[in-house]
Amino acid sequence: MSIDMSQFYQVFFEEASEHLANMENLLLNLDVANPSLEDLNAIFRAAHSIKGGSGTFGFTDMTEVTHVLEGLLDRLRKEELALRPDMVDAFLAAGDVLRGQLEHHQGGPEVDNADIRDISARLTQLAVGEAGGGARLETAPLKGSDTVRHLRLACLFPPDVAASDEAVNNLLAALAELAAVDTRHRPDAANGLLEANLTTSRSDAELKDALAFYLTPEDIALSPAAQPEESAYGFFDDAVTAPADDSYGFFTDAEPTPSGQADAAYGFFDQESAAAPAAAEDADGTFGLFDDAPGKPEALPNRDVTPGDSPAAIEGQGYGIYVDAPGGLGLFDNAPGATHLLKQPAVPEPQGTPATASSPTSAGRRLSDNPSVAIAKTGRRDTDKTVVATGADTSIRVSVEKVDQLINLVGELVITQAMLAETAGSLDPIQAEKLLAGIDLLSRNTRDLQESVMSIRMLPMSMVFSRFPRVVRDLAGKLNKQVEMKTIGENTELDKGLIEKITDPLTHLVRNSLDHGIEIPEKRVAAGKNPKGTLTLKASHQGGAVVIEVMDDGGGLNRARILEKARERGLGVSDAMSDHEVWQLIFAPGFSTADVVTDVSGRGVGMDVVKRNIEGLGGKVELESSPGFGTRTVIRLPLTLAILDGMSVGVGGETFIVPITTVVESLQPNLDDIRTLAGDSRMMHIRGEYLPFIALSEVFGLPGVEDITQGLVVVVEGEEGKAALFVDELLGQHQVVIKSLEANYRKVPGMSGATIMGDGRVALILDVAAVIRIGLANAKRRAAA
Amino acid sequence: MDIVDSSGVPASGEYLTFTLGKEEYGIDILKVQEIRGYEAVTRIANSPAFIKGVINLRGVIVPIVDLRIKFNLGEPSYDQFTVVIILNIGKRVMGIVVDGVSDVIQLNSDSLHPAPEFGSILDTRYLLGLGTVEERMIIMVDIEQLMTSQEMALVETAAA
Repeated sequence: MSIDMSQFYQVFFEEASEHLANMENLLLNLDVANPSLEDLNAIFRAAHSIKGGSGTFGFTDMTEVTHVLEGLLDRLRKEELALRPDMVDAFLAAGDVLRGQLEHHQGGPEVDNADIRDISARLTQLAVGEAGGGARLETAPLKGSDTVRHLRLACLFPPDVAASDEAVNNLLAALAELAAVDTRHRPDAANGLLEANLTTSRSDAELKDALAFYLTPEDIALSPAAQPEESAYGFFDDAVTAPADDSYGFFTDAEPTPSGQADAAYGFFDQESAAAPAAAEDADGTFGLFDDAPGKPEALPNRDVTPGDSPAAIEGQGYGIYVDAPGGLGLFDNAPGATHLLKQPAVPEPQGTPATASSPTSAGRRLSDNPSVAIAKTGRRDTDKTVVATGADTSIRVSVEKVDQLINLVGELVITQAMLAETAGSLDPIQAEKLLAGIDLLSRNTRDLQESVMSIRMLPMSMVFSRFPRVVRDLAGKLNKQVEMKTIGENTELDKGLIEKITDPLTHLVRNSLDHGIEIPEKRVAAGKNPKGTLTLKASHQGGAVVIEVMDDGGGLNRARILEKARERGLGVSDAMSDHEVWQLIFAPGFSTADVVTDVSGRGVGMDVVKRNIEGLGGKVELESSPGFGTRTVIRLPLTLAILDGMSVGVGGETFIVPITTVVESLQPNLDDIRTLAGDSRMMHIRGEYLPFIALSEVFGLPGVEDITQGLVVVVEGEEGKAALFVDELLGQHQVVIKSLEANYRKVPGMSGATIMGDGRVALILDVAAVIRIGLANAKRRAAA
Repeated sequence: MDIVDSSGVPASGEYLTFTLGKEEYGIDILKVQEIRGYEAVTRIANSPAFIKGVINLRGVIVPIVDLRIKFNLGEPSYDQFTVVIILNIGKRVMGIVVDGVSDVIQLNSDSLHPAPEFGSILDTRYLLGLGTVEERMIIMVDIEQLMTSQEMALVETAAA
C-alpha cells in the first residue's frame, strides 16, 4: 500500500516551522548560566519532532542537520555538557539553516551546502569538544561496546501512537540508533504492543530514553534474553515478565472500538490462528498478540484470575461480541483460533483453559472486571498523551480561506437581517409584536455572531513581537551594542492580515532604533546612562484602533542634522519649523542622516516605505523624540482590514463610503467661504485654512447637486493634506464589511474597495488620498485649458 | 483546420445561446455559472459605457458588462426580460447583459464553420466560428478570450 505523502507535506511544513519558531524562542529565553532542564528538553523535543517529520517525508537534508543538532542537545539535557553561549549561537544558526531547508522544500531557494556542512561541523565540534574525542554523537551503536547484551523489549503504546506509522517508524529508528533491533511485533492500530529483541551495549536507561517520548520508563519492560536466536519458547517466558497490566491494557483499550475496528481485530485474530502452528519456530511480528495470551497463565495467578480468561478476553475483544457469547462453549465455538491455539504445544496449560472458561461466573466476573481496568488504563494513557501533545487539543488548524468564507457568510447574514429589519419596520408594532421581538433578537444574535467570527481572524501581537528578540540579539551583537528588549501588551489582538503586513515596517523601525537610536555602551556611560540600552515594543488598544509603539532610550533624533540634510537634498525647510514637522522630514523618500551606509541601515530607503505601508493599511505613523532621552514611534492601525467604520454620503443617487478615520468634520458650506483661484479651481476657507474644494460629482462624472448651499462638505485628511469634499447629502455612519473590487474586476481609480449596504446594493469605498489627487489633477487640467 | 477553443480542446459540446438584438450568439455552457434577471447596478465612475457597474451576488462583487453596448447592437433597454448571464472565467465571476437566453444546443466541431473576416466590432480572435442549427446561424464566441481581453478592460492589463 502506498500513500501519497505529498498531501501531508503542508502539515509538516506548518508544524516544522512552528517547532522551529518554538525552538528559537526557547533558545533566546534560555539562561545560559543555569539552563532549566525542562527548556532543554523542550528544545530537544522540537528538534526531534522536526527530525522525525522530515525523515518520514523524505527530506533527508533536514534529518541530517537535526540529527547532529539533536546529538548535542541530548548531551546537554543529560547534563554531560555544560551549556555555553557559543552553543546557543550554533543552535540558532542551525535553526536558520533548517528554516532555509524548509523553505527550499516549499519551493524557496536552495540552501548553501557550505552552510549546512559548516553548521554540522560546528555542532559536532561542540558536542565532541568536551567529551575528549569520545565521539558518541554520531551513532555507532555497536562500536566500542564493552559488554554486548541481548535484551527483550516489551512495551505497549497508546492506540493513537501505535496507529501512526510515522510515530512507530521514529521510535524504531531511535531504537535502531542504540541497538540492533529485531522487531518481533510492530505496533499497529489494532495492537499497540511493541516486542523486539535488542542487541546492544547501552544501558537500560538509555534504551528507555529512546522511547520516553511516548512512554514512561515504568511502562517499558526490558529483560535479558538468553539468546537472540532462541525463538518461541524463550519468547514466551519473556513475555510473561512484561507487566500484566500492559497486556490487559491492550485488550481493554481495544474494547470500546466501534465495529469497524472490531473487524480489523477479527482479521488479526484469524491471521493469528493461521500463524499459530508455525509459531514455535517463527515468532513473527503478528504473533505478538498471542504470545502474551498463552503466556498469561503463569503471570495471572498472582492476580487471582483464572488462566482461561486470556483467550476469552482475546476472543471477546477480537469479535466484539463477548457479551453475546452465552457461555464458555459458545464462546469457543466462535473462536476457532482460540481452540486451535490451545492445542499448540507452546501453551503451558492447555487443559485448564476450557474448564474455567466454561464457567459462567468466571465470564461474568471478567466482564465486570474489565471495564474498571479499561477506565483506569485509558485514563492514564490520556494523561500521558496530553503531555506529548500539549495544545493540540485546545486549538485547530483551519485555513484562512475557510475563515474568510465564514466571515463572508456572516456578512451576508447581517445584510439579510438588516433587510428584514427594514421591512419589518413598516409593520404594525402591536399586531406583529412577536415578529418584531424575534427580529430584535435576531439582530442581537447576528451581531454577536459577527463579532465572534471576526475574532477568529484576530491574532495576538506576540506573533509579531516574538521575532524581535532574535533580530535585536543579532543586530546588537553586530553593532557592539548592549540592548535589552522589552515587550508590553503582546496579547493585544490584531487582524491576521494586519499582523502579516505590520511585520516588515516594525522590523525596520526596530533596526533603526538599534542602529541610530541606541548608542554604543561607552557613549551611554559618558552620558550617564545605563550601558545597556532598552528597546520597548508596546501594543495596546485605544478606542477602535491598535497602537503599536517602538521606543528606545537612545540619543534621540538630531534636529540640526535632519535640517542640514534636508537642505542638502533641496527640501524646503526653515529653522522655524516645529519639531513635529522636522521629524516628518525623515519620512521623505531617500532621506538618511547616516554618513556611512552599513548593511543595517543608512541607505535612506525605509522610513518612507514604512510610512507608505502603514498608511496603506489605513494607519498612521507618528514620531516623538527628545535629544538624549530617546525616540518613540507610534503606529496607529485599524483593528481589522475586513471591517471599516465609514460615513456614507450620497452623490448623484449613488452611495459612497468615506472611511471615518479620514473624516475631520462635515459642515454645511457657506457660499462666502468658497473662493475661486485662477478662475476655476475652488478653495474653501475653513477655520483659517484654505482647502481645495473638490466636488465628488465632478470626480466621478455624476449628476450631483450644483448649488453649493444645497449640499454638504466633508473635510477629509489624506496623505497629502486636507481637502473639502462636496457631496449631496450625508446618509449615515456604518460599520461596513470591505469587499475587494479586484477579485472579479479591477482596481478603480479613487476607490479602495466596495461594500454591501443594508439594502443589498453595492457601495464603493473612497480612497480619500486618490480622490484628492484626482480632484486636484482635474482642477489643474481645467486651469491649463 | 481544427477549430479549438482557448483551452486547446476541440470545440464540441454544449453551448448556451442568447440573443443580442437580432443576432444569436453561443457560448460554452461550462463557463456559465447562472442566469438571473437584471437588477440595479452600482455604477463605476470613469469606466467605459459597456461596463454597467457592479452588483452584489451573494456577497461577491461582480462586474456587469452590457454586450449590447459593447457590440453596438441597438438601444439597450432594461426591463423584466433583460437577462444577466453570470460567467465563471478563470477564477473570476462576471456578468453579461443580453436580450434573452434562448437555448442550449449541442454542437461538434464539424458543424462549426470558420468565421470570415468581418472587419466588425467583434474581432474574429474572439470567435470560435459560426454554427448552424435548424437554419439559424449562431455566432460562437470564445467568451473567455473576449472577457479577459484588454479591450473589455475587465481585468487588470498584463502589466499588473
